[in-house]
Amino acid sequence: MKSFSRQQKQLVLLLAPATLFLGIFFIGPLLIMAVYSFLEPGLYGGVEWNFYHWNYGRVLGWADGFYEEFDLVYLEILARSAGLALATTLLTLLVCYPAAFWISRMSTRGKALCLFLITLPFFSSMIIRLYAWILILRDSGFANQILDALGLISEPLGLMYSSTAVVIGMIYIFVPFMFLPLYSSVEKIDGKLIQASQDLGAAPLTTFRKVILPLTLPGVIAGSVLVFIPSLGNFVVPSMLGGAKVVMIGNLVEQQFLYARNWPFGATLSMLMIVSMLVIVSFYLFKVMKNQPQS
Amino acid sequence: MTTAFLRKLFNPLLSGYGALFMLFLYAPVILVVVYSFNSNPVNLMIWDHFTFDWYINLFGGDTPLKDDISYVDSTDQLLAALGTSLTVAALATITATVLGTSTAVAMARYRFRMQGFYRLLLFVPMVMPDIVLGIALLIFFVGAGIHLGVISIVIGHCTFLTSYVFIVVSARLAGMNPLIESASADLGANEWQTFRRVTLPLILPGVIGGALLSFIISMDDLVITYFISGVDSTTLPVFIMGLIRRGIKPEINAIATLMLVFSIVIASAGIYFKSRNAD
Repeated sequence: MKSFSRQQKQLVLLLAPATLFLGIFFIGPLLIMAVYSFLEPGLYGGVEWNFYHWNYGRVLGWADGFYEEFDLVYLEILARSAGLALATTLLTLLVCYPAAFWISRMSTRGKALCLFLITLPFFSSMIIRLYAWILILRDSGFANQILDALGLISEPLGLMYSSTAVVIGMIYIFVPFMFLPLYSSVEKIDGKLIQASQDLGAAPLTTFRKVILPLTLPGVIAGSVLVFIPSLGNFVVPSMLGGAKVVMIGNLVEQQFLYARNWPFGATLSMLMIVSMLVIVSFYLFKVMKNQPQS
Repeated sequence: MTTAFLRKLFNPLLSGYGALFMLFLYAPVILVVVYSFNSNPVNLMIWDHFTFDWYINLFGGDTPLKDDISYVDSTDQLLAALGTSLTVAALATITATVLGTSTAVAMARYRFRMQGFYRLLLFVPMVMPDIVLGIALLIFFVGAGIHLGVISIVIGHCTFLTSYVFIVVSARLAGMNPLIESASADLGANEWQTFRRVTLPLILPGVIGGALLSFIISMDDLVITYFISGVDSTTLPVFIMGLIRRGIKPEINAIATLMLVFSIVIASAGIYFKSRNAD
């Protein structure tokens, strides 16, 4: 009995620091943010402690124009953000899938080197990596210079400040997030299974669909979720590469907090962002699971 | 027949694709490095001739180019931002390493009812969109009257760095034989002695790895810091974002190159540590 309680004491001692810290500085702020989304915005940036559901009404449609006005633009921005995040996720998957196979067939040394090279960008500054794309995409940038020198274009393509630029930037930033989970499931595939499928007469595409894809599904799912979530909430990439033309939900939240100073509405928008993230991710998981052939 | 033909074509195609993939990852960054030595002050992307001048400008030196176009007008600001970043990263790393390691040890060495909850608690901060955490912390700090500065940034960083340390140390603990600790206890060492003399040395590579990872992530964090840094506590990434938003100037290439070199050195050190303890 005595040793039992002593063990418990040790456990409490080990857990206490992180519990207190995350309780106060992680769970606490998130709860307060949730509460804030139901408060009335004050006149000069503060809040009034009244229950106020019109913040949600402004976005979702029941604002009557007396307290707050409904504007479809918020839902449009939310939908656009989801669309761009989805496009980023699928394209990143497409970019990484063959690369994972390429590396899985290398020698041990080659694998180690390539994994190092792919992880390295994750450790280098995100803002610098985005900056590189500004140098490439802007009107006097590298891409336009090359195309001009080759005589393919006579005036700069407006690559910057477009959805394309934002998606390229996000793919570039999130490649390691997709690649690593994907690679770990590609790496595990037993070559004999592919051989067996071919010996049994399956066409390459059938082998891919019936054998390779289901086996790599855990990696596909993990990678997709890891790319989708930060893409949907992103505000750095659209503000660097999208300018004022491509506004995502993250930019809107930033605006509400730092410029419009309507904190309750900003909190509402980020609550809606979290909800749509959960909905889309669970829908995606559901779809993918359903498509998985029975083994 | 077609199948055999396809199979023959497959490998070179895959290698070609791999080369393109690597080019996609590295060409943009290499471009920045190369053009940081370009002396053309008007169009950054038209090569003039090789120069170190942007680097000299950066550190307050005088070069002929400085009169033409001087951008990072105060080297002091840049160095102050770097100082803030290093201070924050050091403090956050120490705190997060303690928090993450003790939780990892608790989770690996004890069985208790709330384990699922703790696993979730440590997982969520890593997948939480950083803008949400950033504004939640902003509301919290302002409401609680905590001054926005180095301390608030350190607290903010620790909320998610703890999870990274936890994961790295847990992985190390999982690969460890718990019988070694029992042996130490059987030989008469008390819990503290066992932890200090047996457990800690064995998990140390994981702890160092987690700490290095925290340091890099803290140095690089932009979004959360952006919301909870005060006027007098700008970190390097936030400062650079401000520079880029005001306009592209050659000095930024030089800053970018220096930062890339820095992160490559730290990342390589981390990987070296990892490979060394695998032997």
